[in-house]
Amino acid sequence: MALQSSTVAGQRPQSFTQNWSAYAFLAPALIILFLSLLLPAAGTLVMSLTDISFLRPTNFVWFDNYLKLFADGRFRQAMGNTAYYTVGVTFPTMVLGLLAAVALNGRFRGRIVFRTIFYLPVLTSLIAAAVVWMYVYEPYSGPINGALAQMGLPPQPWLQSPNLAMTSLIVMAIWRDFGTAMIIYLAGLQDIPSDIYEAARLDGAKTRDIFLRITVPMLSSVTFYLMIILIVQTFQVFGAIYVMTNGGPLGSTETIVFQMYQTAFGYTEFGYAAAMSTVLFVAILLFSIVGTKIMRRGES
Amino acid sequence: MTDAAQSGAIRAVPNLQSADRFWPVAERVIGYVLLSFAALATITPFLWMVSTSFKTDAETFQFPPNFIPNSLLWQNYIDAIAGPDTGRQLINSLVYALGSTVSNMVFCALAGYALARMQFKGRNVIFALVVGLLMVPAQSQIVPVFLIVQKIPFAGGNDWLGNGGTGLLNTYWGMILPTAATPFGIFMMRQFFSRIPIEYEESARLDGAKPFTIFWRILLPLARPAMAVLGVLSFQSAWNDFIWPLILTSQREMATLQIGLQLLQSGPDARWNVVMAMATLITLPIIIVFLFAQRYVIDGAVTSGVKG
Repeated sequence: MALQSSTVAGQRPQSFTQNWSAYAFLAPALIILFLSLLLPAAGTLVMSLTDISFLRPTNFVWFDNYLKLFADGRFRQAMGNTAYYTVGVTFPTMVLGLLAAVALNGRFRGRIVFRTIFYLPVLTSLIAAAVVWMYVYEPYSGPINGALAQMGLPPQPWLQSPNLAMTSLIVMAIWRDFGTAMIIYLAGLQDIPSDIYEAARLDGAKTRDIFLRITVPMLSSVTFYLMIILIVQTFQVFGAIYVMTNGGPLGSTETIVFQMYQTAFGYTEFGYAAAMSTVLFVAILLFSIVGTKIMRRGES
Repeated sequence: MTDAAQSGAIRAVPNLQSADRFWPVAERVIGYVLLSFAALATITPFLWMVSTSFKTDAETFQFPPNFIPNSLLWQNYIDAIAGPDTGRQLINSLVYALGSTVSNMVFCALAGYALARMQFKGRNVIFALVVGLLMVPAQSQIVPVFLIVQKIPFAGGNDWLGNGGTGLLNTYWGMILPTAATPFGIFMMRQFFSRIPIEYEESARLDGAKPFTIFWRILLPLARPAMAVLGVLSFQSAWNDFIWPLILTSQREMATLQIGLQLLQSGPDARWNVVMAMATLITLPIIIVFLFAQRYVIDGAVTSGVKG
């Protein structure tokens, strides 16, 4: 009896067995999500209101951490650095990804090879990439300064200069990320019906007009999706900075997650670090919500 | 670069005038030149890594540097592999990456199937929760996750309240557990299972098959492409992970290859050629896995991400 009633999907649950097995299927994943995301997210909020540390008994300090945070010049610098990095990486990555995707969308010889090459940096281990780029930026034996010397130009202290270090990190991040953008744009391009292009071409539209008036507008929802992914990801940059500059020189590459790591695991100020996490979380959430809103409006 | 796309699409339209015939050719040439230039720029750091890994110590400090090394010195690879902790780090990386991959494939497939196909109380709430958790930036939660892992009851000398010991710090369990299921994996598998026609399950259900049998015998074999994507993405993210093993492990023998590479590079007697040999070795497995599953990964990353 119970079997028959459960054959049609969409019907209300009738048998205890089926309920029970669904929970059994879900349990392991939900326990892990609870321990690795839900409880930590709630924990961060609570911890940010305390002075929890290994150094002393914990007290509730309420909003002191947040007040301290916004008065903290170092944290303001980190926020500025993070914003600069995020904007500096996101937009060029999207433009390059779009150009690569449009170029590789047609059928021609070698496009698989090009796709694979452009996607290769996405796959590389971040630390391997960071170490290789440290060598590429090496002032005395690196290839960039080598090439500059060959052109008769003076060598530059790429990662050692407060003015150049963040930009150098941005260039590397664009190199690593634009393959992701390309793949996502390729998917978006495949969803555009080809008869729109054919009609435009028969009407004598120029390549540039087709690109700006058909391709770009038809990709707007993909563009917003990608923008949110990239912003969320670049906001959390850590590994490259830890390996390549350690926040220096003069704090010019210190970002929010880097400072959070140092505050928590360097100075064991977990409460203060949790307040940093919360600020970062809220910033990312705001971006996601605003982005989703704009995307919905664009679709309707 | 848009020119190349046009030359690809323009073939559908017959070229009647001779001027039309010239431009597509020119555009094609310009397109190839631009693409080749971009590809060269993309691949140069890799070539530089491999080239340096074969250089002698003296040649790595030469200025301006040589692109093609004078020697083909395999000794750097031997030095990289023969490092005192490299074998141990390789095992740690493999355990972490494979453990995380297998558990993600199992747990996310089970949960995704339940959310796609089973009827139960709270289904919409749980699905909304999973989607909501997609937005939580994992990196920003690293401090409390560390404290939770440290406070797991009865582990590493802890009492039932989670006090007294080190919990799961410096253990494989501690490394794998927080990454053993992800909202993205569950979401992706749910989307995939939703698209499989219901008829596949119905006859089995009429024959009296239990939910797990239906899942294991019928749905899972159909989900092979989605499982491949999930597997590759999980392997890649654990193999390349840096921040979590860095925070979790304070003991040298628990370090992964990524941490090992960072230590090798920042050490007092770091040699660029050996560091590059190590970087090459760490990059290879990911590229090999990718080349085997390329079709699945690119298609899957694309469909699950955008069309989901």
